[in-house]
Amino acid sequence: MASFFGRLKSGGQTSPPTSAAPAKKDPNAPQPTPLEKLLADAGPVRGDGSDKFFGFENVSPADLYCNSIVQCLYYSVPFREQVINFPARSPPEALERPPGPLPRINTDVVNSSNGPITVLSPKGRNSVSSPTTASPRKSIVTPAGVLPPVANKPEDNKDSPEYKKKQAFAAGPVLRMDYENSQAYGMPESLFSALKDIFEAIIAHRSHIGVVSPYKFLEILRQENEMFRTPMHQDAHEFLNLLLNQVVENVESFSRSRVQEIDHKDPNSMGLTVNSPAVVTDRTSSVSTSTGWVHELFEGTLTSETRCLTCENTSHRDEAFLDLSVDLDQHSSVTSCLRKFSEEEMLCERNKFHCDNCGGLQEAEKRMKIKRLPRILALHLKRFKYTEDLQRLQKLFHRVVYPYYLRLFNTTDDAEDPDRLYELYAVVVHIGGGPYHGHYVSIVKTQDRGWLLFDDEMVEPVDKAYVRRFFGGENELACAYVLFYQETTEEAMIKEQEAESLAAAKQTAEVPSDPITVASPKANGAANGHPHLNATTPIAEQDDQFVSLNHAATAPPPIPTTEHTALDHITTNIPILGTRKSNLQSKKDKAEKAEKAKEEKERKAQEKELEKQAKQKRKEMETQRRENYRRQEEELRLALEASRNMATEETKQRKTEEYKRRATEEHKQKVNGFASIGRTSGLSRFRHTSMSLRHKPKFWKKDSDGEGNAQDNGNGNGDDKGEKKNRFSLGRKKSTFHL
Amino acid sequence: MFVLPPPPRYPAAGYPGAPGQGQLIETNNTLTQPAGPEYQLVVGEGTYVLRDDLYLATPPPHPSEAPIHNPNPLATTLSPPSAGTKLSLAVLSPRQPSASRLFRLETANSARSQLPPSIQESPNESNSQASDTGSFNANAIAPSPIEGLNAPAFGSDNPALAVINGKDSKDPLKRRKPKNNIVKSNSSFVSRVIPHESLSKRLQDHAPNGLYAFANVNRALQWLDLNSSTKEEHLTKILFTKAHALCHDVNQITKGPNHIDIVMGFSTGDIIWYEPMSQKYARINKNGAINNSAVSDIRWLPSSENLFLASHMDGSLVVYDKEKEDAVFVAEDQEVVESASVKQEKKTSLGVRKSVNSKNQKANPVSFWKVSASKINAFAFSPDNRHIAVASEDGSFRIIDFLREQLLHQYMSYYGGMMCVCWSPDGRYIVTGGQDDLVSIWSLEDSMLVARCQGHNSWVTAVQFDPWRCDERNYRIGSVGEDCRLLLWDFSVGMLHRPRAASVRQRNSVTSSTVKMQRTRTDGTASRLRSNSNLTSGSLLDDGEVVHAVEPRARTAMLPPVMAKAVDDHPLSWLGFEEECIITTCRNGHIRTWDRPKEGAGSEEAPSTTSASASNP
Repeated sequence: MASFFGRLKSGGQTSPPTSAAPAKKDPNAPQPTPLEKLLADAGPVRGDGSDKFFGFENVSPADLYCNSIVQCLYYSVPFREQVINFPARSPPEALERPPGPLPRINTDVVNSSNGPITVLSPKGRNSVSSPTTASPRKSIVTPAGVLPPVANKPEDNKDSPEYKKKQAFAAGPVLRMDYENSQAYGMPESLFSALKDIFEAIIAHRSHIGVVSPYKFLEILRQENEMFRTPMHQDAHEFLNLLLNQVVENVESFSRSRVQEIDHKDPNSMGLTVNSPAVVTDRTSSVSTSTGWVHELFEGTLTSETRCLTCENTSHRDEAFLDLSVDLDQHSSVTSCLRKFSEEEMLCERNKFHCDNCGGLQEAEKRMKIKRLPRILALHLKRFKYTEDLQRLQKLFHRVVYPYYLRLFNTTDDAEDPDRLYELYAVVVHIGGGPYHGHYVSIVKTQDRGWLLFDDEMVEPVDKAYVRRFFGGENELACAYVLFYQETTEEAMIKEQEAESLAAAKQTAEVPSDPITVASPKANGAANGHPHLNATTPIAEQDDQFVSLNHAATAPPPIPTTEHTALDHITTNIPILGTRKSNLQSKKDKAEKAEKAKEEKERKAQEKELEKQAKQKRKEMETQRRENYRRQEEELRLALEASRNMATEETKQRKTEEYKRRATEEHKQKVNGFASIGRTSGLSRFRHTSMSLRHKPKFWKKDSDGEGNAQDNGNGNGDDKGEKKNRFSLGRKKSTFHL
Repeated sequence: MFVLPPPPRYPAAGYPGAPGQGQLIETNNTLTQPAGPEYQLVVGEGTYVLRDDLYLATPPPHPSEAPIHNPNPLATTLSPPSAGTKLSLAVLSPRQPSASRLFRLETANSARSQLPPSIQESPNESNSQASDTGSFNANAIAPSPIEGLNAPAFGSDNPALAVINGKDSKDPLKRRKPKNNIVKSNSSFVSRVIPHESLSKRLQDHAPNGLYAFANVNRALQWLDLNSSTKEEHLTKILFTKAHALCHDVNQITKGPNHIDIVMGFSTGDIIWYEPMSQKYARINKNGAINNSAVSDIRWLPSSENLFLASHMDGSLVVYDKEKEDAVFVAEDQEVVESASVKQEKKTSLGVRKSVNSKNQKANPVSFWKVSASKINAFAFSPDNRHIAVASEDGSFRIIDFLREQLLHQYMSYYGGMMCVCWSPDGRYIVTGGQDDLVSIWSLEDSMLVARCQGHNSWVTAVQFDPWRCDERNYRIGSVGEDCRLLLWDFSVGMLHRPRAASVRQRNSVTSSTVKMQRTRTDGTASRLRSNSNLTSGSLLDDGEVVHAVEPRARTAMLPPVMAKAVDDHPLSWLGFEEECIITTCRNGHIRTWDRPKEGAGSEEAPSTTSASASNP
């Protein structure tokens, strides 16, 4: 405790001078974080947001799930582009110059830009950007270069996540997202508009790095969804599903209203004078195609084939999904989990199938296959399983391996592009021993900066191999929970691998130029680093307190080293070879030298790259020629298929209509967090659920027979034994939550 | 003023599988003989029964490595690579090159008609045929040099290398030993060496045809006598300070009653040449002087006494000489190398950083090839000693003519990295396993994918042909994976081609029109690289020829396993077929031996097998 107050005092004394004069060789000068180093050569800010690396403030411990998911979505290039371009790309000026309640981004920028902003310069880092950052500024000036701080508190350890988070928050700029721009977008306030606000703010900001405080987003989330109002620890996958559904819904209701407005020839529809041309394009583009963008990205189609064992009649039913939930086995792979998902399942005993053909409940075989492959495949690993003896959910620590690239085996024979190649681009990791508490982080592959770890405010570059740390297993607290795969091509894969090797070669070349750092005793602190503040998130009641505590935590200034060593006499870090980490510690002059070498190297690399590109081009042309031929064939095939589909579509449409109606009815009755969705979306379409293989959506069965549903629920209440245990899926879990 | 509560720490225990207090003392290996139906593998030819389960004790962490009390699950420092237990086996008595048996099979190809059409119909014959690897025919084979079958020794064209090789061959009976004594060593690399107290007696007792095994577990390497009645007691255990031995290989040519050459590759990049009988060792690539990335696989060059090939995790293949000193490696200018080969190298994207033909052969490395952009997971020499098949993390598997230092083919996995690779005994097929959970069979002659074998529930970590159950048309393949299971596959050429004959032929024409392998379909290896004479941009099209695109699933044959069974509680890491048994090892150090079925001609076979005993790995 003494040290805590001590820090307060001493921090107050030391901070002003250092922050005022960050001399070049000042040992007390803030050391660039790994992220800053990574971005050292970042050019001017791009317009598409691909070079923005913002952490998210952990507003309240219960909202962890949100940060990791939003990060994953932000770094999905097509998703981000669609969000900022829908309904239309608002020019940054429109948002920055306040024609409404949106001056906040502005203030941030203005405040921090007294003088030209050099994004990563110490000036930028120390700039006051929002009230929250004012005080914690000092944490940057922790004695860095002199000695590794001997720490007894995790926050004091420079390699502890707590410290890094604080520092990130202090370094800012902090985008305090407590405003909303929905009017500028011409849409009502919604989760989508709040998400768009966040994305826009990040992109519009002149800094490459910073922290976002998504207050408004969470506020809207809580407003609209009872489930997320409780301070209970929430599930990241549920949040993803909810967010996607809401985005779909918001986007659609917006375009619907637009269409109506246009139809009514309302001249004030957008408050735009150039109404007619805009409207025309909007109507064609945003209504017919643009609104479908969430579907286009995340939606796939599952076909369930049910074969009645009595009459051998097979019925097919299609259903859309936005993500897939797969059951896990010990020592398995994602591939096999997906295959299991599509394995045949017997519908018997209580689960009998109502066959239209023989007219009655019959035993049947059922399997689900993917008919249309999504562009972004969100895979939810069902790590939280209901155990009956304990009457609660438990976390499965199974080791489930996932490859960097994936194709789907469980497609139907007539699926389009069944060999589509997916690449892993984001992993949401759950850390903790159980489902009711813990922490979420995400690891995301960025367009040109490799893999980054997003842990609330902290953003840190990580090695590609780091992604493989989260397979799970006996001693692993941190396991992958949601995997995001996006479609890619083999050419892109090869190109990326080449780039990786180039980068690796560069790195190994850099290491020897900086030999001391390898031996630096501090290089590895993270190895025996420190636990997460949020590891065992205190639930419920303490919640409010924690919000404020979190803020308080950022405030106390650090102790100067001298005092540190005097007070504490505990840990010494043992050096571990970590080239990557060691870069951290390089002294400035060394860094310069390395930079020169790097420049030289880069020049060479560039030459090589050019050469390679030329070659690549030639090769591409060659392949293109072949491709064209193939495409022609493909098109022919598609045309044939389309005409065939048309016929089936019509019949399907009729069916869907019916089952939509029932589904919405049922949803309204259901006591779950999604109730509010049903309210608005009921009109337009059946709801998108996340499909879990085991947990067949209830309204399916409902569709075919009324009793089936009741029985199904029976299973849910735990009177089922044996293998059915693992049929529990999140939908049911919810009910246990509210018990 | 708020008072901050101390941040919660992760509980040391309290969730399933929490890391317990790590053991801190050296423990002994244990041997158990579990029995019961769950320890039997039922296949067509009979039932394999678990003989015993040898559990290698995991050594405690070195005292210099402080135990981690409260690990940060998100720590971004990368831990050095480690590997599950693998074995290198050695039988001393039939002193013959291991490769010869594979060769015999291929020469037998010419007389194919005499061979039994199917394994299942006549298991004995196939056994006897395969058993010419055993000691019956060993004497007959041994004198015939493998080079006689027109595969020249690696680097035989280079006089700079020949000198050294010649010097060695003058007194072939007297093997050179490494310089340093490992027991007395004060190297910081080696932590401790624990020889068995009655080592010399046990060595004397060792049957000449008994099986020696070298097994890595964590930071230890154990020398075991698998035929001993006390096989759980190691002959020698070496503990390394920090480095983990990831791979090792026994030289099958130089091994003898008083000499075994073994090389090990380490997570630090170091390589140790170790001679267990004399307890001598030498360290190569010391502190990564030549290549500082971890060694993922290591093998003696076929029929070479001195040279071995190591694959490093940065994607390079390096040939070292066990007796040469390290020299700081600078990529040699390609002009140094003969100009003709330079052109070839450029065409075939095999980056020859130092050719075997380099004049400078005073020090290691002998040659240095940059094969892949990403880590190489495994490689295997072809039975004809000309090719290497290299499986790499980028999802490709390459066939390299290492004598000519050329890349011949590059195939892609369905998706994900390739983990393991091996050749059929006759050298016609190559089998790979990877992160797509598939075992893939490739034909060298047709340079195409023959079949994909689906059945594993996780990544495939090791594949092997069972030479005792292979003939010209039927192949037995075994594979183990992260799913803890052993799968056996019977693959027969007829079986695959007959029902799919039409489609197979059609497949070729389809692929060649769509995929970039148009000209590759010319048969024979010789013309493969020369068929582009009429094309202008040579390098580009050469590339196009070498790289084969992924076969779509709809066009490939799928093969189901004949047996699939979980054989361990931990992910498996290695698989070996011996004349009498199948051996599997797992990541945690279990070595399980599965006896082959004894029924049928067992009575007749029993004496012969005991006399013949196990043979070469």
